[in-house]
Amino acid sequence: MKKTNNIKTNIYEVLELPIEITMDLPKITLIGNQEAIIYNHKGIIEYSSTLIRINSRTGIIKVMGSDLEIRNILSEEISIVGIVDNIEILS
Amino acid sequence: MLAIKIWNYLKGYVIIRIEGLALERLLNLALTNDIYIWDLRRLNYFQVELCVSLKGLKPLEDLIEKTGCKGEILKRIGLPHQLNRVKNRKMFLIGFLFFFIFTFILTSFIWKIEIMGLEQTPKEDVIQYLSDNGISSGSHKSKFTEEEVKLLLINEYDYFSFIDVKIRGIKLTLDIKEEDIPPEIVNKDYPANIVAKKKGVIRKVIARNGEDVVKESQVVRQGQLLISGAIQSQDGSYNLVHADGEVLAKTSYEAKVSEPILKKIEKETGKLFAQRGLKLNNQGIRFIKDIPFSNYKEYIIEENLFNIDFIDFPIKLIRYEYRETEIQEVKQNIETIQNSNQLKAIDIINQEIAEGAEIVSRDIIHEVEGNILYTTVIVETIEDIGKKVIIEK
Repeated sequence: MKKTNNIKTNIYEVLELPIEITMDLPKITLIGNQEAIIYNHKGIIEYSSTLIRINSRTGIIKVMGSDLEIRNILSEEISIVGIVDNIEILS
Repeated sequence: MLAIKIWNYLKGYVIIRIEGLALERLLNLALTNDIYIWDLRRLNYFQVELCVSLKGLKPLEDLIEKTGCKGEILKRIGLPHQLNRVKNRKMFLIGFLFFFIFTFILTSFIWKIEIMGLEQTPKEDVIQYLSDNGISSGSHKSKFTEEEVKLLLINEYDYFSFIDVKIRGIKLTLDIKEEDIPPEIVNKDYPANIVAKKKGVIRKVIARNGEDVVKESQVVRQGQLLISGAIQSQDGSYNLVHADGEVLAKTSYEAKVSEPILKKIEKETGKLFAQRGLKLNNQGIRFIKDIPFSNYKEYIIEENLFNIDFIDFPIKLIRYEYRETEIQEVKQNIETIQNSNQLKAIDIINQEIAEGAEIVSRDIIHEVEGNILYTTVIVETIEDIGKKVIIEK
């Protein structure tokens, strides 16, 4: 499994394809500490104003902060606004 | 961002509060069902507030029921909701429609008749005549057209030289120019001035009614007041009367005629060059050859190819003829030209001179400038230059 993954990665590197699409990995964009946009998520696990846990292929993405709001939520993308203190990835 | 907001407003959305324990599950289900949700706010552990589009509201409610939550609509925002609200206010809608219908009906009538440019005919007369024929303020626009009004006026007033009729909104505008009419025709019920219809030097003023304002040997220009219809009475107020009288003045007429001394005459030399062509259904075929003449006249002769009376064949034969011409310069006798010019000029002046004018002098000047002989004829007359113009109140 790990070997095939390595081969895949090599091929994509040679072809210069965006890895988040080809390997279906989440892409996290942070704008200051005010906004976090997560692409390629697999759903929300927990949502409160201080902690948001989002499932993804690599594992659970944990966004911590205060006054967290989900500005919009689509099947491919979640954008979180508020004061982001901490982002953890638990794989 | 603004564009998205406007779009959401136009499509309409609701703010909904959802209570329950499985809120994350609900959100994930909404995601998989492609329900567009935005502005989520977690109020506490079991409550969330969110915006959802009108299209997504029904499936979301189904999901709320499925997950055992409770939904409560807090606010409806957007154009569709506002339209709904208007639907419930029937009287407002009726009033709105009534307003439009009312304005439409009111603007389909003529409310004002404006007449410009009238001098010798009283406006009241024209308006009265129009209203006798069904055109007055308050008549419907569809009853007459601009052209009809024009014809109506031309038929009644034969001395109107120009009439422009315009219907603009609720206003009927008439722009009228009159020819000078004999003073007897002018309606004596209305106060009038006598003004000059052309420039001249005053010889004699006979004011039968009104006050003369010009003196003998005074130069007057066109449109100048000659006999005033406004008479000042002893207490200083003005009294309007219909001025009457004759104003004799010396006026001049001028006409200028030119004629070349060397005249070019085109003459055919008798040489001929012909070409043939065909015409099929009004489209010509022509066999072009160079024409061997520099000056020529072109004649085109069409012939039917088959001469049968009852069938019109679309094929026709065309003959192009070119006849050579020669340009000759002929020197004319100056005396003859002078005479003919003089006659032409006098002819022009005779058409212009008013009836009853007394001719005082006649000057004829011949001038040669290059190849051209100019003849100027000046005729001086003594005539009545007065024209009655109605005073506007």
